[in-house]
Amino acid sequence: MLTNPLTKNIGPQNHATDIVRYQDNGGYRGWRKALDMAPEDIVKLVQDGGLRGRGGAGFNTGLKWSFVPRGKNSPPVKYLVCNADEMEPGTFKDRLLMERDPHLLIEGMAISAYAIEARTAYIFIRGEYHVAAARLEQAIAEAREQGLLGSNILGSDYSLDIYLHRSAGNYICGEETALLNALEGRRAVPRAKPPFPQVSGLWGKPTVVNNVETFCNIPHLIEMGPDWYRSLGRGDDAGSKLFGVSGKVRNPGTWELPMGTPVREIIEHHAGGMQDGLQLKGFLPGGGSTDFLGPEHLDLPMDYDVIGRAGSRLGTGTIIVLDDHTCPVGLVLNLSQFFARESCGWCTPCRDGLPWIVKILQRIENGEGLPEDLDLLREQAQRMGPGNTFCALAPGAAEPLQSALKLFEQDFIDHIRKGCCPYQ
Amino acid sequence: MPTITVDGEQYQVDEDQNLLSACLAQGINLPYFCWHPAMGSVGACRQCAVIEYKDAADQRGRLVMSCMTPVRDGGIYSVNAEDAREFRGGIIEDLMTNHPHDCPVCEEGGECHLQDMTEMSGHTSRRYRGTKRTHRNQYLGPFINHEMNRCIACYRCTRFYRDYAGGDDLQPLGRNNQVYFGRQQDGMLENGFSGNLVEVCPTGVFTDKTFSEHFVRKWDLQTAPSICEHCAVGCNTAPGAREAGNGQDVILRRVVNLYNRAINGYFLCDRGRFGYDYVNSDARIKKVLSARSEEIIGSTATSGDKVHVEIPPKQAVRQLAERIDAVQRGQRRLIGIGSPRTSLENNFALQKLVTRENFYAGVDRRELELVQLLDNIQRDDRIHRPDTPDIEAADAVLILGEDIDNTAPRIALAVRQAARNRQKAHAQQLKIPLWQDASVRQLRGDYSPIIFAGTELSGLADIAGATLFDAPEKVARFAEAIAQLIGGADTASLALPTEERELAVRVTDILAAAEKPLVISGCSSRSTEILHAAGKLATSLADRSAAPCQLYLVFPEVNSLGIAQLFERDQGHLEELANRLQSSRDNTPTTLLILENDLCRRGNRETVETILSRADEVILLDSLLNETARHADLIYPAAATPESQGTFVNNNGLAQRFYAVYEGVGYIQESWRWLVDAVRFSTHKSAALSTVAGWQHSTDLSEALAREFSPLAGLAELGPDEGYRIDGLKVARQSHRYSGRTAIRAKNRVAELPPHQDPDAPMSFSMEGIHNPGLSSLQANIWSPGWNSNQSILKFQQGIGGARKGANGGIPLRRQSQPLPEWHFHETAESQTVDSQLQMLPLYRLFGSDELSARAAAISSVIEPPFAAINTLDAADLNIQEGDRLELESESQRYQVEARLSATQPAGTIGVPSGIPPLESLAATFPGRASLKRIEPDLATESGDSQ
Repeated sequence: MLTNPLTKNIGPQNHATDIVRYQDNGGYRGWRKALDMAPEDIVKLVQDGGLRGRGGAGFNTGLKWSFVPRGKNSPPVKYLVCNADEMEPGTFKDRLLMERDPHLLIEGMAISAYAIEARTAYIFIRGEYHVAAARLEQAIAEAREQGLLGSNILGSDYSLDIYLHRSAGNYICGEETALLNALEGRRAVPRAKPPFPQVSGLWGKPTVVNNVETFCNIPHLIEMGPDWYRSLGRGDDAGSKLFGVSGKVRNPGTWELPMGTPVREIIEHHAGGMQDGLQLKGFLPGGGSTDFLGPEHLDLPMDYDVIGRAGSRLGTGTIIVLDDHTCPVGLVLNLSQFFARESCGWCTPCRDGLPWIVKILQRIENGEGLPEDLDLLREQAQRMGPGNTFCALAPGAAEPLQSALKLFEQDFIDHIRKGCCPYQ
Repeated sequence: MPTITVDGEQYQVDEDQNLLSACLAQGINLPYFCWHPAMGSVGACRQCAVIEYKDAADQRGRLVMSCMTPVRDGGIYSVNAEDAREFRGGIIEDLMTNHPHDCPVCEEGGECHLQDMTEMSGHTSRRYRGTKRTHRNQYLGPFINHEMNRCIACYRCTRFYRDYAGGDDLQPLGRNNQVYFGRQQDGMLENGFSGNLVEVCPTGVFTDKTFSEHFVRKWDLQTAPSICEHCAVGCNTAPGAREAGNGQDVILRRVVNLYNRAINGYFLCDRGRFGYDYVNSDARIKKVLSARSEEIIGSTATSGDKVHVEIPPKQAVRQLAERIDAVQRGQRRLIGIGSPRTSLENNFALQKLVTRENFYAGVDRRELELVQLLDNIQRDDRIHRPDTPDIEAADAVLILGEDIDNTAPRIALAVRQAARNRQKAHAQQLKIPLWQDASVRQLRGDYSPIIFAGTELSGLADIAGATLFDAPEKVARFAEAIAQLIGGADTASLALPTEERELAVRVTDILAAAEKPLVISGCSSRSTEILHAAGKLATSLADRSAAPCQLYLVFPEVNSLGIAQLFERDQGHLEELANRLQSSRDNTPTTLLILENDLCRRGNRETVETILSRADEVILLDSLLNETARHADLIYPAAATPESQGTFVNNNGLAQRFYAVYEGVGYIQESWRWLVDAVRFSTHKSAALSTVAGWQHSTDLSEALAREFSPLAGLAELGPDEGYRIDGLKVARQSHRYSGRTAIRAKNRVAELPPHQDPDAPMSFSMEGIHNPGLSSLQANIWSPGWNSNQSILKFQQGIGGARKGANGGIPLRRQSQPLPEWHFHETAESQTVDSQLQMLPLYRLFGSDELSARAAAISSVIEPPFAAINTLDAADLNIQEGDRLELESESQRYQVEARLSATQPAGTIGVPSGIPPLESLAATFPGRASLKRIEPDLATESGDSQ
């Protein structure tokens, strides 16, 4: 039975960047099958499969699609958008998929567009992903040549065009409504909700935005069915997922593993464990904007709700490991600098709070911190909590900070007491 | 009405509101920045956070942004909960990390919303130890200062400028805390509503540059409610004045918006805001001037120019008194020429003095005809005159021959809001509240239909769904065709080119399908046909729906409709006067009394020359030296609008009173007072003149007008008279913090002088009196404890965005209803054309076309150079290129102008800017004919200035 649908074409030898090899390997079977199905049946099937958004929020994909107005009275123009703006610190999973198996994404998008009755789709790709962009352009051209995209696809009355748009570079473009603004040529600032994009998205038309990895799950889910898909998971969540590990481990990388694979297995088995002489001090389970978890959480399965209950988020599923020789203040400072720089500037706590946090952390790291700085940081992190800001950027930025202040409080205090960074 | 509980108190609130405005409407002080009552909520600043509780059992609640929270019946909220207060203080603390501590040198200081909100939030100490970010400021033109370091990034400026006013040269640039609100490069802000940035910005990023020239703090300004005199929309303003110190004269310092829900709401146009400075002009007449007996000989003077010397006012009054006596003895004729740019009271005093048969309206025949026609159309019962909220609610707008962005700018701003009604309807279907501004706007979608037919469309071009650029006769024909179609005529019967016929059918369908259609037209094309057709179109719509149709008509000047009430049909134009003087065999010496009118702008050259040359004596009452003053024997300094009290009647027939902000300097006084003074000095008084001599207060004239002219009956109820008191007190024009009262004149005199007494209004020229908001509409100093900025207007409103408390908002004329005259489009015989002559069509300009504002220093610096717009194809025929120097010849006068090629200028016509220097004298000749000739470069240098 197929257990690695996302990466089955990806390996040292058998990567399928051209359409011939992709189809030889069974590619576009899902798309052919989908074209014989009713769009609403596809939505139902995806919903039943239990696929949850791989961009970080983990919302049921089929359910998201079901909010798109359907039928004769619905707006005739709808859009599908692929969020390929992979800028989450420590995350490099979509890049692998796009560079090594671009047709899988194209196929997934085609099925999804058909399911929501969109006839135009966009891939909004991170500007620095040159190789991925070139391969996707090639893949789109090949698919069009083969009649898998374009007008009257495979003799059906369904037509679809996919366009690639390269981002001018901004982390906030990963927020789906900011992405839509950027795609329209506007400032990349998140939009107010409601209306949700499914009702009024790109140029005011119903729009679905999904992550690259989410789309890549679709072809096999359609081909093999929801029961197979659910059976892939080891825990509560369905399917497989790309997990990654960065930090001072022996073998950093990314692997497709069943949902619910325990953290320890990912770090110790797949990433080869910590480098010699280093101990794991903590880890960010799902990218730079998730809360630190400690060694006591190593046996948790990587499931959305389990990680959520532990006080963090599964996020993108790419783990950043903190070892005992790396300064946690420096790590949080590094992340905060990123988030402060990438704030879109729309709402106050994020725009003005993050630079302040950076200045405080910089002072602490330089040994110029004051004892009261810790309360100030806690206060700032709290002010950036969910609901207090316009979008999820600031709450995400606050997560590593607030958890580091809890888990590694002594490190902060040591910096202030000693007047220098003890790790240097 | 939902009931909500805030901090244990129950309130009944408007269900269509968000929690923030509901709280503010109840008088609860809740700080905010990005929310604006006219622009709604976007949730950017996070300043208005409160706690929302699930139910009575919920003790913890959840922090919500009140501006983004719809009120819920039975909802329980807390503004004062510790968590909410801390959060709000924290937001201010965040904002203050970059806001400079420059309040003492910041012009916003003392009326700064950021100062107020900081106080309100209770954030008082500084914990931030870092440096502040700095920006480079931009040159934004002569109206607006830019100081970006003060920016707190509330996004109000760009939301107003781009989203609300349709500008596109101001935007947020960059990101994070470096976000910069500016232009792509330095340069004048192009949008005609840029001045509102000064009031929209909650702190001192955008400030009034003309105010900087003579800046004082808000609390040092003496203010009174006034009416903008720079067009006939009738926007309410609050001009502020103060002495210059060291015993110097009073200066009018600035103009800000004075909220009037039905007219200007929260916003003014730039002409209205920055036009005030004419009052401080070097050309201001402050003394009585008399012509010396000798004619001057010199290179700069034209023949007939007079040189003036100052004479004592008493002598001048005696001189006029003698003339009055001579009239009584039958030895002299007094002819009065009134003015559409001054009050009814001034015009009325002159009319009384010279008698009706000797009183003229001071405008040319065509303008009087246009104005009386509009007056007539408005008297038809099938016409509804829409106020600004009505215009904003229109679901289809047809604009005929009027470039409203230039002639009635505030109305164009309202039409821009109407263009969003389709989007708003969509939002309502999706159950998105309309105050959720960002949510509604991101629905995108098409604009509601805005259709324009006329010569030129400036500011609204980007939202116009269909346009027809053609000469006025064609526009009228087009409009009449629509009127016929609405009346059920057969499409085939229309004598229109195919394309226009199709457009006419489309427009008819749109108007017929609309629930609240609106037609806009006006005088600026100087075409009676367009007005007839507009009236016919509107009444056809009304007949079709059996309900009055909304028709907004734009009059030429601030009081055109007002003074029209003083005249019989077709009587009182300048041509009539010229004919009378020319044909008169009577040798009685004639004294011409000209009231606040530069005849050279309002009559054609021949007419004006006849009038001036046939008069034995010319007496002018005016505020600025102008072309007419060169011919005057005696000049009295007249009070400008902000220095006087009186009544204007706006486009909608609403009579509004303005009050003196300060006493004019020197010998300046209201024109009517000069006349009354002279009458008092005269020895022979008829009964009518005895009445004039008895006038003491401006309201005496208002009441006499009300008695004498039935349409003006409402003038008697316009406001309290001089004797009115609140709790025994007058309303104070100065704030109770007004400073330097004893010191300011100390250089001249140590003893404090008693303040001037206002003979006209129950208002003091001092700090003494009542200051309470809401007690009287006479208060223009918009201020409330804790709310020092203009945001405090919400304390003066009946609910957020409601009418101003205690305001009468003007009183409509009581005109007898009168059906529209029957009218059909007549084929006019092609007027005889001299070879190569083209029809001149007036192009009205925001800056320069209005007489007074053009003399304000900042505005005069941005008036376009004289030009002639020619259709690109015509230009090719005439071998004219963009930018060529041209000689425009009309009625044997020659002007040098610059060629401007336009794709939309109707073929066979020349677009000529109306009233801008040095083309003023053309204004009364439109739509006359002219020829154009290219000036070869070598000739241009020789011939020098335009004639």
